[in-house]
Amino acid sequence: MTTLSIDGLSKTYADGTEALRDMHIRAQSGEIVAILGGSGCGKTTLLRLTAGLDQPSAGGIAINGQAIAGTHPAVSAVFQEPRLLPWLTVGRNIAFGGRRIAEPERQRRSADLLERIGLAGYAARWPKDLSGGQQQRVAIARALIGHPEILLLDEPFSALDSFTRASLHELLLLLWQELRPIILIVTHDVDEAVFLADRVVVMRPHPGRVHEAMTIGLPRPRNKLTSEYDIMRRNVLRAIDRSLAADRQREPSTGAMSPWV
Amino acid sequence: MQAITALAVPVVLGIAWELAVRTGIAPGRLMPPPSRLAHTALALASSGELWTHVAATMTRVVIGFAIGSVAGTLFGMLTGASETMRRLLDPSIQALRAIPSIAWVPIFILWFGIFETSKLALIALGVFFPVYLGMLSAIQSVDRKLIEVGRVFGFSRIGIMLRITWPAVLPTWIASLRSGLGLGFMFVVAAELMGASEGVGYLLLDGQQMGRADSILVAMIVFALLGKFSDGVLVAVTRPLLRWQDTVRGRL
Repeated sequence: MTTLSIDGLSKTYADGTEALRDMHIRAQSGEIVAILGGSGCGKTTLLRLTAGLDQPSAGGIAINGQAIAGTHPAVSAVFQEPRLLPWLTVGRNIAFGGRRIAEPERQRRSADLLERIGLAGYAARWPKDLSGGQQQRVAIARALIGHPEILLLDEPFSALDSFTRASLHELLLLLWQELRPIILIVTHDVDEAVFLADRVVVMRPHPGRVHEAMTIGLPRPRNKLTSEYDIMRRNVLRAIDRSLAADRQREPSTGAMSPWV
Repeated sequence: MQAITALAVPVVLGIAWELAVRTGIAPGRLMPPPSRLAHTALALASSGELWTHVAATMTRVVIGFAIGSVAGTLFGMLTGASETMRRLLDPSIQALRAIPSIAWVPIFILWFGIFETSKLALIALGVFFPVYLGMLSAIQSVDRKLIEVGRVFGFSRIGIMLRITWPAVLPTWIASLRSGLGLGFMFVVAAELMGASEGVGYLLLDGQQMGRADSILVAMIVFALLGKFSDGVLVAVTRPLLRWQDTVRGRL
């Protein structure tokens, strides 16, 4: 059992922009937490800090009660873009994520994952030969080969068409059910959040902070066509409306710009 | 088909010139016809003289290129990897680059004498700058996002350099080696013109002094062939390193 605690995490960039203020999130093994918000509300900053790619200005991140600074072997990530290494074959790109695993085991896991992501015959291909959706599958496999306890996803499906996105949601849940890592997924897609997450954290901008957190108590596998799903979805949309209203009140000069139309 | 199209112009011009000289329309003394050139080339080749010159020139180019490209690569890596080293060294190197390389000839002769060392120094200097600049700019333009991938998956600074930075800079580095090699040939001509007893450049100078346009032209053609051949070897040797690249390369 792993616990992730993000405590009072804040980030002010060198130019004075306050990207994130006093963020608190707790999660334990097997939980999927979606961070939902429009652009500029610090979602990506939160993920970069958790991944150890940037240093927080205040607050900290702890895994099993142990504070971490910088990147951590238990934490893995999938970015918005696939970010595959173009000079490595697909198989070796996946293996790249498993630096700490002994070679025969790494080979075995890489081959196994290739099959799971539906690219069994692609081990020797180059990333350039793959479609965007296939590349993102490889990126997910690369993030999972090391059996991370915490998986960070930064809008990983936003550049894909809705069919590909739906199939990758299924794939992600399938892989998650085996390894049961904590998943922290940043998204601006309400459907994605409701379909995947156990909890949704709605953020609001200026500066980025938590507006509201809610539990999605729907049983898995989830059916998007049930009325319970629809109610949950509307609840989340309402929370977003409230966060926008709060932001408008605070700063009347900002026009009403809802990205959720 | 492409080759035929490409050869059409020189072949037609060659035949026309040959006919003009044979029919007595043109004298052909300063611009000998293809048959004369072929004859001179064959004579130089069968006497073994040509091979001595080619060997001398190629030895100079290879050694000068090796020194210049190794130094350019190392300095480029140093200034590319370390901000401090870049601030310390790059301005001076850029200042030296502003000196036209041929301007080094007199001082090199004073320092290294008129024999091989000064020639090699000149060639190495010519090769150094494009390789150095290529390496430096390649390292500076490595995608930060890929570096982050290395960090997330727990690679050390050295690990990231070997697994990400190095393969990422390879294409630009190899392109800079190719332009370095081109300059190497330019400077071997300069070096051999300033005084040599052998080398294809010597053949040029000798032809000029003897008033033999045919041997000058043969030497020029030999330079073209050597340059093209060396570039082809470089491309062939480095091709396996760049198989992953998206773009068609190897065309000049």
